[in-house]
Amino acid sequence: MNIWKISLKNFRFKPLYSFLGILILSVSIALLIGIQQLDRSFRHQLENNLGDIDMVVGAKGSPLQLVLASVLHIDNPTGNISFEEAKRLIKNPMVGKGVPISYGDNYKGYRIVGTTQDFPELYKARLYEGRFVQKPMEVVLGSTVAEAIGLQIGDSFQSSHGLAEKGGHDHDEPLTVVGIYQPTHKVMDRLIITGLETVWDVHHHEDDHQTNNEHIEGDVHDEETDHTEHNETESHHEGEEAHHHEEEDQQEITSMLISFRNPRALLTVPRSINENTNMQAALPKFELERLYQFTGVGVKTITWIAYAILIISCITIFISLYRMVRDRAFDLALMRSYGANTFQLIRMVAYEGFMIAGSAFIVGVLLSQIGVYFIFEMITDQYKQQMPLQLRYQELLQTAGLVGLMVLLSIALAIYPILKMNISKILSHEK
Amino acid sequence: MIRTKDLTFKYREHSALFEFPDIALGAGENLLVLGKSGIGKTTLLHLLAGLLYPTGGSIVIDKVPTQLLPKKQLDKFRGQNIGLVFQNNHAVQSLSVIENLKARLFFAKKAISKNIITDLLEHLDIIDCKDKKLRELSEGQRQRLGIAMGIVHRPNIILADEPTSSLDDDNCNKVMQLLIEQASVSNANLIVITHDQRIKPLFTHKLEL
Repeated sequence: MNIWKISLKNFRFKPLYSFLGILILSVSIALLIGIQQLDRSFRHQLENNLGDIDMVVGAKGSPLQLVLASVLHIDNPTGNISFEEAKRLIKNPMVGKGVPISYGDNYKGYRIVGTTQDFPELYKARLYEGRFVQKPMEVVLGSTVAEAIGLQIGDSFQSSHGLAEKGGHDHDEPLTVVGIYQPTHKVMDRLIITGLETVWDVHHHEDDHQTNNEHIEGDVHDEETDHTEHNETESHHEGEEAHHHEEEDQQEITSMLISFRNPRALLTVPRSINENTNMQAALPKFELERLYQFTGVGVKTITWIAYAILIISCITIFISLYRMVRDRAFDLALMRSYGANTFQLIRMVAYEGFMIAGSAFIVGVLLSQIGVYFIFEMITDQYKQQMPLQLRYQELLQTAGLVGLMVLLSIALAIYPILKMNISKILSHEK
Repeated sequence: MIRTKDLTFKYREHSALFEFPDIALGAGENLLVLGKSGIGKTTLLHLLAGLLYPTGGSIVIDKVPTQLLPKKQLDKFRGQNIGLVFQNNHAVQSLSVIENLKARLFFAKKAISKNIITDLLEHLDIIDCKDKKLRELSEGQRQRLGIAMGIVHRPNIILADEPTSSLDDDNCNKVMQLLIEQASVSNANLIVITHDQRIKPLFTHKLEL
């Protein structure tokens, strides 16, 4: 028999009180931990997706849209730019590498990106099997795509026009799978990589004529809703005329991903592009920071709600401990008459608080992990984006420390009646 | 061995002063303290038990002047040397019968011997409910558990506060016999305070307040 055992018996004596205390505290702990983890995983995932990309150059429009479309591959592109003009940028000595990308099609919602051999290197992607793209109409699948659509090397498929899963028409020319990448846990996993020529070849007969940006934005807009029969026929008709006038310097790309050789370039290069060309340069890190400022409000609100619940749950613990001290005044006085000193009784109450807090912490961590797991599952399904689960000790300890502090405070308040206890008075009013 | 001299107590500075007659009991001697309610019987018991510090006078138990002990040492002294038997609150609610007795020995800082506890429970005829909680016991069983709690740690002094007033004649006799018997087994002083006239013939030493 010791103080711990007596506390444990007390804890079990009123299971409903203990259960309620644990329940409310664990919910707030789960919220706190879950929010932190989601926020950090979200940021980590976004930043991770930047790879070595310092700057992205595309058609004029919203810089955030440009970054979302060309770096994170989740929004529609701002338009097209001339490949020739973009290539001139790489000649700048401060620029290390420039990777052109060109969009147009999707297969079952996965985007087909026309690019060069440098693109996988931005994400340090390695081949899992097969080989790299060598000829037009060949594709290499990102690992998520390969898993999701179940295509093997040698299989061919017909791409659909546009970036959305539905609404585009199918192209006639089949694409052939020649390789599959290893997982990178970055955005590349959910892309279908091909050469620039593939995108040009597929589209030359229909949208090479689209040299002005407004037209393309309009086109993208159509794809989001529905391609009307009228638009399509018009498109085909005009496209076939344009086909015959195709020249090398008219080739277009969606954007150019650029990594700098010198960090000083961040200050000068984007400005000179924005001022001197009809292209726009956007800095992904800067744009994502802006994005966090929008999403951060929601995260902060939920965090404050979690703190509020934490305070309420600590008040609940205080009330249940205080009630325990008051309700069992006779028991505590009896124990004093058995020879227990004040400090032993304080320990008894404190241990009971620790038991509630400890169980709540374990339950809370479990709840948060289950919740976060399901949210990730949902995100993976919806955005075809893999997010690694991770729970940091540091954050866990921080939350544990905070909860511990609050519980200590409630214990300190709850033991006050023990300090002021008049055993003689309690025992003589026993009737 | 217990000896008090000029013992006085008052609850607050301006409240009435209780003055108690001197008590002197040799080894193994018992005492019955009689008096109407409100006269200070329980106060005297709590003073002897070390639950209250006297306002004046002295209490010496086995050569230890208990009123001079600091609070924590007094707790320890009480746990080891004094056994209290109450009228109603016999044991801790959240613990079973056997856990209560173990806790009693734990707080008295005495070795927890399962044999001693089982023997005692057998003797008091409550061995069958050793794993029951207080609320599952009958009134008679509770009273016997109360006695067990007062004597399990072999105290030098057993103090009983109205142990019989809620019992019928039959149970009253049984309880008093058990108390007197257990006190003589461990050669302890038994002090019973009561207004119950039925138990008067059982004592040679009596004190009227």
